[in-house]
This record gives sequence, C-alpha cells and structure tokens, in this order.
Amino acid sequence: MTETSGNILEIEGIEVVYDNVIAAVHDVSLSVPRGKIVALLGGNGAGKSTTLKAISTMLASERGKVTRGTITYDGVPVKNQDPAVMVGLGMVQVLEGRRCFGHLTVEENIIAGAYSRKLSKSELKNELEKIYDYFKRLKERRKSQAGFTSGGEQQMIAVARAMMAKPKMLLLDEPSMGLAPQLVEEIFNIVRELNVKEGVSILLAEQNTNIALRNANYGYIIETGNVMLHGSAQDLLSDPKVKELYLGISKEGRKNFRDVLRAESH
Amino acid sequence: MTEFLFFIEVVVGGLLAGTMYSLVALGFVLIYKASSTFNFAQGAMVFFAVLAFVGLMELGLPFVVAFFATVFLMFLVGYCTERLVLKPLMNQSEDTMLMATIGLGFVLEGLAQAAWGVEVRRLDLGIGDFPIPWIADSTGLFISALDLTAGTVSIAMIIGLSVLFKYTKMGLGLRAVADDAGAASSIGIPLKSIMLMVWTTAGIVALIAGMMWGARAGVQFALVDLALKALPVLIIGGFSSIPGAIVGGLIIGATEKVLEVYIGPYFGGAIEGWAPYVLAIFFLLYRPEGLFGEKIIRRV
Repeated sequence: MTETSGNILEIEGIEVVYDNVIAAVHDVSLSVPRGKIVALLGGNGAGKSTTLKAISTMLASERGKVTRGTITYDGVPVKNQDPAVMVGLGMVQVLEGRRCFGHLTVEENIIAGAYSRKLSKSELKNELEKIYDYFKRLKERRKSQAGFTSGGEQQMIAVARAMMAKPKMLLLDEPSMGLAPQLVEEIFNIVRELNVKEGVSILLAEQNTNIALRNANYGYIIETGNVMLHGSAQDLLSDPKVKELYLGISKEGRKNFRDVLRAESH
Repeated sequence: MTEFLFFIEVVVGGLLAGTMYSLVALGFVLIYKASSTFNFAQGAMVFFAVLAFVGLMELGLPFVVAFFATVFLMFLVGYCTERLVLKPLMNQSEDTMLMATIGLGFVLEGLAQAAWGVEVRRLDLGIGDFPIPWIADSTGLFISALDLTAGTVSIAMIIGLSVLFKYTKMGLGLRAVADDAGAASSIGIPLKSIMLMVWTTAGIVALIAGMMWGARAGVQFALVDLALKALPVLIIGGFSSIPGAIVGGLIIGATEKVLEVYIGPYFGGAIEGWAPYVLAIFFLLYRPEGLFGEKIIRRV
C-alpha cells in the first residue's frame, strides 16, 4: 500500500478565516493514518478546534471558511459539504464542551446519534447494547435527563452518541476539558478501546499534552495557527522542548515554541 | 342555583374558547422549538391558510380536496420559507430571525389578499355556533356545538403531536435540534428537513385553527391579530411546551371570560382584550419560564 492510500485524512497547507477577516489557522498540514490515533496539541486559541471544524465542515455554521489548501477525507475532497453529508461518509465530530441534548434522556441522546442510519428496531437495540458495553456507566443512567448527569458522563454521552453513527473517523475536541484526572483516564481508555476494537481512526485535539500523547500514535503541535513540530507520540514525549513547554517540566516558567526557536537561532 | 349554573357555563365556554387559543399557540411552540424564534408570521399563516381553503371551496372543490390542497399549499409555504428565509439567515442572531418572521407575515398577508381579495368570507363547517340541545335539556348548560368541536379537535391535535414528537425518529430529531442545533448537525441530523417538517406542521395547525376561528368570526384579516392572543398563552404555558400551550390556552380562555362577566362591568366592559396580558405580566414576574416551559438546566 502506498503512503497516500494508508491515510484516511490528509490536510495540506490550509488557512482558515472567520468572517472574512480573522485568520485562525495560517498553515496547517497533517495526516491521519487509517486506524491510528493522532493528537493535535496546543494551547487556547492555537487553532485546534478550527482545524477540526474545517475537516467536519462545521465551520460554515460559524461563518468560517477554508481559504487556502486542501482537505481530503477517504479519497473525497472536503469542500463545503453539509455536515450531514460528512456523517454519511463516516466522519463524525464530537464538539468541544460535550454539547449533550440536555432535555433528552441519556438513551435518547445516544439513539439520536444513529439518526443518519436506517436501522430496524432490533438493529438499533443491538447497536445500543454494543455501545453500552463500552460505556457501562451510561447504561445505569440511561433514563436520566442528560442535562443532570455529571461532566464525565456527558463527555461519555457525546462520544457514545457519535459512535452510534458508525464512524470510520472520529474527531474529538478536548475530551478532557474540565474533568477530574481519573475520569480523563477512564475516557481515554474507552477511546483507545474504540480505536482498537472498532478500528475507528481518531484525530484528537487536546490541551492535556501528557494524556493525549500517552494514548496517541502520532502528534502535531500547533501554535497561532501553524504546525510547530510533529512526530511519533514516543518521540514527542521524550523531546526536551516538548517536555519543557507542554509537559510542565520547566525550570523557568512556561514559554511558547516561538520563543524557544528564537532563542536557539541567536 | 341558576347563579352557579351560569358560572359553570361561563367557565366551560371560556375553556372551550381557550382551546382555540391553544391551537394557535401550538403553531408558535412548534417553530419556537425548532428555531428559538417567536414566529410573528403565525397569525398571517392562520389567515393565509384558511383564506386559501375558503377560496378553493368557492372554486367548487369538495371539502376534503380543498383541505388537502391547502395542506399541500402550506407545505409549499414551508418549503419556500426554508429556502428563501431560513437558509440565507442561518447562523444569524435570533433578533434577525424575529424580524424576518415579521416580514414573512406581511408577505403572506399580502399574497393572501392579492389572490382572494379583502372581503370577509363565511366558512360553514356544518357545525353551528349554538347550544347543543341534549346538554341544555339534561343539565341546563348552554354549550356551543362549535366550541365543543373546536375543543375536541384541539385536544386530538395536541395528543397526536405529542405522541409524534415523543416516539418518532423525526420527533427525536426535532427535540435534539431544539436543544442544540449545532450538536444535532454534528451527528448528521439534517436541519433542513427538520425545519421543513416543522413549518409544514405549523402550517397545518394554522389551517385548522383558522377553520375554527373562521367558522365563528368569519374569515377575515382580524384573524391575524386574534392569533397574537397566543402570546400571553405562551408566556403562561411556556414557549417550548406543547402541554403548556393547551393549559395556557385554557387558563386564558376561562379567566378572560370569568373576568369579563363578573368584573368587566366595573371597568365598563371589554376587559377580555387586555386581561390576559395582565395575567401574563404576573407570570413574567413570578414564573418567567411559564408553567411547563423547559427549565434552563445549568450545572454548577
């Protein structure tokens, strides 16, 4: 198999502009090999969410536009398709901040994820059971109103709901946001399990560099809309610069990549 | 005893008239659920739908054919609204949407009058606005046949729609969109077809409400303003609740009649027109989400 056909997602040099004036992403290129987990790392406002939304075509609903570069998903050029079309092609995004349907029950939330599929009642039931095998905690709470469940449970609902669409590729935006460490651990374990057992490829945007790299195969670090560094998760975890800047093992407080590179060039 | 009977009569008459408010309010609730907008065009839709229906009947179409032709017409109105108004304005603020519905209202009023003229039409459903004899004979209560029919139809519509939303896939889609349109779209729920479904349903509800009102008061432009009575109904019942629409309508219907009959004379009458709004203000002060409105869920 050639290098290209091994990638489910390829992005080349995209620039994203909001409201025709604000550039949120300047030049991002990345690829996600089929069946792998790739982490997209960086701080607030680095352009992680924007990149994910460009891929899932959710950008249009926020008046954003890809103004340069190309995105190819599973051989299909991603232009301005409707998000529903992308879901039909097997790409589903889990939005930042979970975004559960608060007034629906946990189970209704998960069932809503299968909206794009034509399933009979018994097929739907089987799919639900399969999902509950991964998310055991949700099975106990299936009758609860989603708005009243905990943050960790809501994150699980969001991932479970996305999995009901039977995606080939999942885009996860900050699954660790605002959650206790052991819950983050639990959610990442489920994500890895889904990756291994269901073969779903994952592109994951995270601020929590440590947990993301421990669970991913490959990582990209972006800052102010540009890719600063990329490499295998192992390499990045042991890279002294990454350690200093993103893993909080620093002697003199936090800096960003730009400063380090500038210091090195002097 | 006759005093008491009279009171019951006033309340029952008010409740039944209230179901008509409920029916109009139902149209507002549907669209509010899907797009978080108070659809100012709902009144115009009531007028447009029933005028079209009467117009088609005058062309000699049988009742059933005219009814379904109007339903199809309301589907077209929904389709054009989605295409020409909602889609271009997607992601604009709710205020923008509100203004757009006001504009849409004017367009529909204009179209209806251009096509069918401005004179008041009669609509004869074959149900008279007079007391039902056997009820009058057995209990001494005077209850209008039209009121009773309107009440029955409203309740049937409301039960039907509630079941539809609770147990069908489209209904689940609508409730998901009502909660978070962005998230719904991210999992592949097609906003376009949900909007089309909602506007068509609101159109059908408008037609039935218009038929009930038209049979009583004549098919005329005043129906547009009458429909705005739904505003206090919605404030009391809750903007996003179907049961709220019916209970709100009943409360408004009964209260305004009772107040009109017993307190009205002290104010020189005609307090029916404004009493519901006073009631609505009390609700806004003490229970702003309405009786059945969805509480804003916020985790702390």
